[in-house]
Amino acid sequence: MRHRKFFHFLSVTLLLAPFPAAPTEDAKTVLGPENIYLYDGANALMAQNGEEGVRLTLLGLQMAKGGREEKIAHSNLCAGFLLINQPETALEHCNWVIERDEGHWRTYNNRALVYMRLERFAEAEEDIRKGQALRPNSKKLKIVKGMYLDETQPVTPRIELDERRKADEDLEKQPTDVAGD
Amino acid sequence: MLPGTSATQNAIVLAALAFLGITTLCSADVDESQSSEGGTERKPLFTMIPDYPKVARRDRIEGEVQVCFDVTREGRTRRIAVRKSTHRVFEKPAIRAVRVSTYLPLPSEAVMSGIKTCRTFRFTLEPVVTETEN
Repeated sequence: MRHRKFFHFLSVTLLLAPFPAAPTEDAKTVLGPENIYLYDGANALMAQNGEEGVRLTLLGLQMAKGGREEKIAHSNLCAGFLLINQPETALEHCNWVIERDEGHWRTYNNRALVYMRLERFAEAEEDIRKGQALRPNSKKLKIVKGMYLDETQPVTPRIELDERRKADEDLEKQPTDVAGD
Repeated sequence: MLPGTSATQNAIVLAALAFLGITTLCSADVDESQSSEGGTERKPLFTMIPDYPKVARRDRIEGEVQVCFDVTREGRTRRIAVRKSTHRVFEKPAIRAVRVSTYLPLPSEAVMSGIKTCRTFRFTLEPVVTETEN
């Protein structure tokens, strides 16, 4: 049950490294992406098709040209393996990215999710902290932090009502209702 | 019979208690029907409880909002305005809750008080205590 809830949020919180179309000197000419497998793999993962996304991204990794494409591939594989419920493999790919780029906030976001899935909450908190230091206004990181807090410090919302009639500065207290869930 | 008292003394005590009870009931009746300013006290008919805003719950934000409003003769709320607020995230749910809340309509002979009603919503998050296995 807990895992089902986790995967529900996963679709909202996983971040994929963007794989843009190839740069061109002529703005009027539109070229396709250089590594079509990475591109299609990212699209499959965004469509929540984990198996296909991982398969295509692994193909994209095999034909990756340079560190940038490798980083995108590993970052997306981290998200993809988590999506198909293989957090240990996902962690290896996230670690690969962070070892080479400590400023990759998307991977901190994803690795925090991996750590939460593995119930390694202290490490998840540390990754959220690092991610928010790099990207303080990230909505995704806020959502992940909320998930982390719900796992570690669950709360119940409570709303209390107080009703008074106001005649000038005089307030007459009349408590009316209390609600919680 | 109360211990150590005569029948007459008991009768006096009981009469005094009964009198106090009657006066208390009367004052309660007056308080419920008439406000100190002469208008008729309004009784809530339907009180809407707002939802805790999702973003506030996620970010562990607590706070309170005071919303003041008039109540029409028919029992609807109007001229709703936020009077005090600790965080803007709570204002919309509070206003929305007051907007759909209603009061009992006033009888035609009753006097409208013209006094504002102010409702304070306190949004808090209580830690959930979970049992741990030993």
